[in-house]
Amino acid sequence: MRKRAEADLEREIAHHLHELTAAYERQGYSPDEARRLAARTFGKATHIKEEVRDEWWSTWLHSVWQDIVFGARVLGKTPVVTLAVVLSLALGIGANTAILSLMDTVLWRDLPVPSPKQLTLVQWQSHGSPIGLMDYQAGDFADSVNGINIADYFSYRTFQAIRDGVAGRASVAAFTLADGVSLSYHGHPTVAPERPVSGEFFTVLQVHARLGRLFTPDDDRAGAPATVVLSHRFWDRELGANPAVVGQPLLINNAPYIIIGVTEPGFGGLNPGDASAIYVPLHHAEWMDPVPGALTNDRFWGIEMVARRASGVTDAQIQPVMSTLYRATWSGQVKTPGTEPSIRLEPGSRGLSFLWSDFQHPLLVIGGLAALLLGLACANIMGLLLARAVARQREIAMRLALGCSRARLMRQLMTESALLALSGGAVSVAVGYATANLLGRFVDPSFQPIAASLDWRILGAAGATTGLAVLAFGLFPAWRAAKIKDTARHTGRTGRLLIVGQMGLSVVLVLAAVIFTRNLLALRSVDPGFDQRNLIIFGMRPSTSGYAPQRLLPFYLTVEQRLASTPGVAAVGIGSRRPLSNYNWGAARVQLAGSPDSLVAQYDHVTPGFLPLFSPILAGRVFTWAEVGSGAKVAVISEDLARRLGGRSVLGHTLDFDNGLHGRTSTSLTIIGIVRSMARTSLIDWQPTLWLPMDTTDVRPEVTVAIRTTHAPYAVVPAIRRAMGKIDPDLPLVDLVTMDEQIQSGLERERMFATLCNGFGILALLLSVVGLYGVMAYQTSRRRGEIGIRLALGAVPRAVAVMVLRDGVKLVVVGVLAGLPVVWLGARYAEKELTHMKALEPLSLSLATGILLAAALAAIGIPALRASKIQPMEMLRRD
Amino acid sequence: MDLIQGTLELLILGTVAQGPIHGYGIAQRILLVSREALQVRQGSLYPALHRLERKRLIKAEWRQSDSGPMAKYYALTAAGRKQLQEETAEWRRYAGAVALVLQV
Repeated sequence: MRKRAEADLEREIAHHLHELTAAYERQGYSPDEARRLAARTFGKATHIKEEVRDEWWSTWLHSVWQDIVFGARVLGKTPVVTLAVVLSLALGIGANTAILSLMDTVLWRDLPVPSPKQLTLVQWQSHGSPIGLMDYQAGDFADSVNGINIADYFSYRTFQAIRDGVAGRASVAAFTLADGVSLSYHGHPTVAPERPVSGEFFTVLQVHARLGRLFTPDDDRAGAPATVVLSHRFWDRELGANPAVVGQPLLINNAPYIIIGVTEPGFGGLNPGDASAIYVPLHHAEWMDPVPGALTNDRFWGIEMVARRASGVTDAQIQPVMSTLYRATWSGQVKTPGTEPSIRLEPGSRGLSFLWSDFQHPLLVIGGLAALLLGLACANIMGLLLARAVARQREIAMRLALGCSRARLMRQLMTESALLALSGGAVSVAVGYATANLLGRFVDPSFQPIAASLDWRILGAAGATTGLAVLAFGLFPAWRAAKIKDTARHTGRTGRLLIVGQMGLSVVLVLAAVIFTRNLLALRSVDPGFDQRNLIIFGMRPSTSGYAPQRLLPFYLTVEQRLASTPGVAAVGIGSRRPLSNYNWGAARVQLAGSPDSLVAQYDHVTPGFLPLFSPILAGRVFTWAEVGSGAKVAVISEDLARRLGGRSVLGHTLDFDNGLHGRTSTSLTIIGIVRSMARTSLIDWQPTLWLPMDTTDVRPEVTVAIRTTHAPYAVVPAIRRAMGKIDPDLPLVDLVTMDEQIQSGLERERMFATLCNGFGILALLLSVVGLYGVMAYQTSRRRGEIGIRLALGAVPRAVAVMVLRDGVKLVVVGVLAGLPVVWLGARYAEKELTHMKALEPLSLSLATGILLAAALAAIGIPALRASKIQPMEMLRRD
Repeated sequence: MDLIQGTLELLILGTVAQGPIHGYGIAQRILLVSREALQVRQGSLYPALHRLERKRLIKAEWRQSDSGPMAKYYALTAAGRKQLQEETAEWRRYAGAVALVLQV
């Protein structure tokens, strides 16, 4: 293009000089002189060429600017359409980018360690539960569909055997679940998650130190000095990135540890969202539950393993070796034949699979909905641009007739589309950021919020695709202008098809909104089994703040009495587990003495004041402080446990209780009371429960104080803090909240789902209503002539309105019907996220279709009304 | 004499309006009617010509010239004709006003 223009210019100038020379020659100059004179008269050719080129540039720039100004004006003339397209683009691209980025972070991205593909998670699997191998377990456990159990915990001896047995082919490290501990750095107290790890942990993962050094096997031995490694995040946020921390003491649960190093900033733990703040050697871990000799007791299974294969070694080569080593370390026999576990190796490049598999399903559901929204947005954009193209046919035809070249027209339209795409893209970045931040909190509140950074590659890809679509549809009018005849019918058909598609997608999204909202509402109205108003709970950790076991019970008594005498407090109780905290409680096997049947029940240790605070006593009584002090073998059971055991008559009977912690013997307890059942770990988790007197040997470090207030709980909080401060100013109150807040925080995921789905649903409605209105308005305007004739021939205006309405409703109904297969498929998939609701309930379905139909009727109603008001004479005259 | 900004464009439009003509021809004709206003640097015609072409006020075509070789012939477009009419009218009003003032 450019080259030809240059050559043309060259020839043009040469021609001019040639003619000029010839003219001078005709005046009698010699050829040489004539050439010289011609060159002088013409001016310096190189300068002229330069000026012409400048002219090309500036006119080009000028015309581009003109295009932009003109395009903006055209877009501004139809602000609703422009806004709808820009918003559709922004929401479609932005939301999808955010969700894909989060999915990438949580589900697909490898751990930020060298050669992550070499990592393997060591697990065991069995057909059915292997009973008889372990007394205590801590870790993740999954029942898979076909009766195969998968778990990731082992005894410490198994770890040692496997580590030594596969040395050379793979290096193996151990770790356990992370758990909160009380920390104090030079008098600055805090509570943070601690992860106990073996000495090989950082070497196997190939994580390096940002500061100081990380563990070696020598740090993880009995008798080695107590040391701790800080995560970069903890060091940065809690200790102000102080470079002088190495060598300093850190109090963990009141025991001194020496800080030896800080991990590199890139390492965020064993999975995205891993909140582990500090790492201690296994030999110096505070075990969550005081199991005697967690590392020497082969029936304690609470050690998890990660291995790094040497290059060239496959899982298949080491799996049988590991299985043999594993079996050799069992202590005891499997009582249930056929359930012997064997080693299972799981790819470890993405970190702990149990954690990400938890988020996979909800994220896929949300991602699927977002993709549907993008589809809807695309259909909507196409529909809007199509309608606009038709509306502009006359203008474009006129411009072509006025001598505007097709290329010039294309460029103009392309500029308009690019303007649309660019504004949509710009807004989508904002939407993406907002959504990513919102979604970052999507994960379980107990985990570190996942910082889902916007992935620019995904944003770029989404933007480019949608931008291309916009360009293609923006150019449609220019392409179509070539053959104006007979296009209206095509456009009509395409428009109707788009409407059907939009309605189909909308019904899915609106239904999702309805279902998840109903689910949340149903959950909110669930009665927890006790009065959740005027109830405050907080945690405290006296056992790790310097209280020896024998001082604990008197301390609890003091707390109960002092708080009870605080103004505004009606009742106080202390329990060993926080209610409705989504943490599983202790489970035990119970059996009525003399009965052959046993069943699993949850248990909790409480003070006498605790139960009356929550539920009415249906029969018998609760413990006394005397019973708590003497460790009496008594229990209060829940109504549903009583029912399972044989009704209220079990009061006074003896119950055999076995929580696996006291060798293999059970304790006999006398049932002294029955209380009403209540929700336990979460609103939906009601399990048979028994309560035992508060105990100082079999408790987690954190106990929960529950306070019933006489009026609004927050008015009483300052008095409670003052009272606690008087008892022990150094004891931090952990997570002081009202019971309402505790319940709300447990519903985070459900609320998140409901919020997102509502957002999607509302957007879907908006988009499809705008689309429907556009197409219907266009169609009726095209049929004005026909309608005019009908009216002139005596049709009743109302009949005309009904005709238009029927036409539109037909589209909507077809669309809804087309969406039903997607609804059916999607519902089965989303069902897992619904805790309180079936996905396909008649009420939800009719609500969703009802909302959609109502919105659609509003969108069709306006054009229908307008059609019925057409003046036949005017119409006929116009045609 | 310096041509007033924009006047050259009007002159070109006016010249081209009389029928397809190449650059040299335009230069000669302007020279003839405007008494050698373009005598120095006939080449400065070309930036203006190309500007008008880009604005689609004139269009160009290569064809055989009277003297033999191929030359680029310019002609008015519809938009160019309209522009010429408007500018001529504008020019007349302007010139008339100036003349009126000077005659007083």
